[in-house]
Amino acid sequence: MAGALQKIATGARSLLTGLGMTMGELWRTLVRRKAVTLQYPHEKPELSAAYRSAIQLIRFEDTGTHDCVACLACQQICPSFCIAIDGEKVEGLKKQRATEFTMDFALCSLCGLCIDVCPTTTLEYSKLYDQAGYTRDWEMDLLEPFREDEERFREEQRAREAEAAAEKARAAEAAKAAKAAKAAAAAGGEGEA
Amino acid sequence: MTTEPEPTPDGDTYYLNMGPQHPSMHGVLRLLLELRGEEIVSAEPIIGYAHRAHEKMAENRNYLMFLPNTSRVDYLSGMIYNLAWCEAMERLMAIEVPERALYIRTIASELNRISSHLLWFGTFLLDLGGVTPFLYCFDDREAILDLLDSVTGSRLTYSYGRFGGVTMDVGEPFVSGTRAFLVRLRERLPAYKRLVRDNVIFRERCEGVGVITPEVAFDYGVTGPCLRASGVGFDVRRAEPYGIYDRFEFDVPTATEGDCLARFDVRVREIEESARIIDQALDGLPEGPIMPAKPKKRFKPPAGELYYAVESARGHFGTWVVSDGSEIPVRVKLRTPSFSNLSSMPDVLRGTTVADTIAIVGSIDVVLPEIDR
Repeated sequence: MAGALQKIATGARSLLTGLGMTMGELWRTLVRRKAVTLQYPHEKPELSAAYRSAIQLIRFEDTGTHDCVACLACQQICPSFCIAIDGEKVEGLKKQRATEFTMDFALCSLCGLCIDVCPTTTLEYSKLYDQAGYTRDWEMDLLEPFREDEERFREEQRAREAEAAAEKARAAEAAKAAKAAKAAAAAGGEGEA
Repeated sequence: MTTEPEPTPDGDTYYLNMGPQHPSMHGVLRLLLELRGEEIVSAEPIIGYAHRAHEKMAENRNYLMFLPNTSRVDYLSGMIYNLAWCEAMERLMAIEVPERALYIRTIASELNRISSHLLWFGTFLLDLGGVTPFLYCFDDREAILDLLDSVTGSRLTYSYGRFGGVTMDVGEPFVSGTRAFLVRLRERLPAYKRLVRDNVIFRERCEGVGVITPEVAFDYGVTGPCLRASGVGFDVRRAEPYGIYDRFEFDVPTATEGDCLARFDVRVREIEESARIIDQALDGLPEGPIMPAKPKKRFKPPAGELYYAVESARGHFGTWVVSDGSEIPVRVKLRTPSFSNLSSMPDVLRGTTVADTIAIVGSIDVVLPEIDR
């Protein structure tokens, strides 16, 4: 009998503890207004700065476009084999240019190895998060935002590289002349001696 | 492996399939129970429903490409597995890791361990019929996921480590956020104890139920909290310190009873110990780089083999790598703790009842993808 009463008392205490905690939470939520529900899609979540979503190409400020040279490093390191790149050698440019860069986001595991290996650091994570859809077609064309800039970039880059080459040639010329002058001076000095 | 049970001659026992789709079975575990009335005559775990051939995948790609797989082996402590793979590779190729990266790794691993234990805590109580504690621990776990999300950009499958360091540096918000979280966690733990451990129903269902004796534990290679609850103070972090665990002061909690309640106690005290380690690591967090000055792009370990063990949230996790000097491993074997822990179940479950099965399987904390790899 005493044992049974004891059990009932312990049971009641457990029950009250649980109720107490629930009431405490209710107090915090209702009275102190600490509700955390986000009214999605009317409110958008705040993504962390490190948030990882589908990769995208970076638009560099100085050139106004991406810097993918189609070296295929990312395509080769990708564990999911979801990147496909094609590139071409452009007349008058030193580096290759990518002509096709597609990524199948349905396969991507967001490991970031492609971003790590990129020699021109032109890859970054995007902040896309609402990508739910009715089809499995997540083939993304990463070059799409850059297509209209490509011609302009190639022209400008040709000019820049030609300018740089001319600059280099002038510098080489000057260096050569300086060397010749030095040699002549040295020869003159010897002659005097 | 029996899949079709044979009828018993006397016909007084019957078979019950628990799982692979059962609300109280974790993941896709299937238990074939032979019952006499309510009593379990024999129990056989049948696995393989989540087999994804991670080990075989490792043999078809280079060392770095296997990295994302490791956090998917055990999705609840992905960080620990991720970093274990990195550390194994670093040892194999003798890569120096900057001090700051070592500290960040320790903090991230221990946070991940706490989140894994909190999830276990919630789902275990859910199995036993207590719904409310689940909400509280997921609230706390959410704070950890937010913290890890802020540095890794991911909530479960982190891919945070790289051979030689980590991908992203932690800033002041992470450090202060972690400290604030630890304060909050320490306030919450006594409440959990009041709410759960002192609860009479919980005690009735856990005390003396599913005793794993040290002998059984040794026979099956049970490790982690399940082994420590049986009175054996084995923890890889203490027995063979890896990383920088030898610099921190922490206890290895043990209990002697070996029942579900002991396993519960050990895990809750492990949360406290992890919090202690994080505190010390945050205090000692040095300034400096997080990757070597010139990180290698291609990894070709010398021919040879290596076994590297860490303490995951579930026990002794080992990575065995065989290299022939090329860029692709010859063999990768992952020794996962859940597999050995689950293997002890036929012995432990014999003679118990169906209701106890839920409590016992819940208390050993299995993660099915880790068992099947």
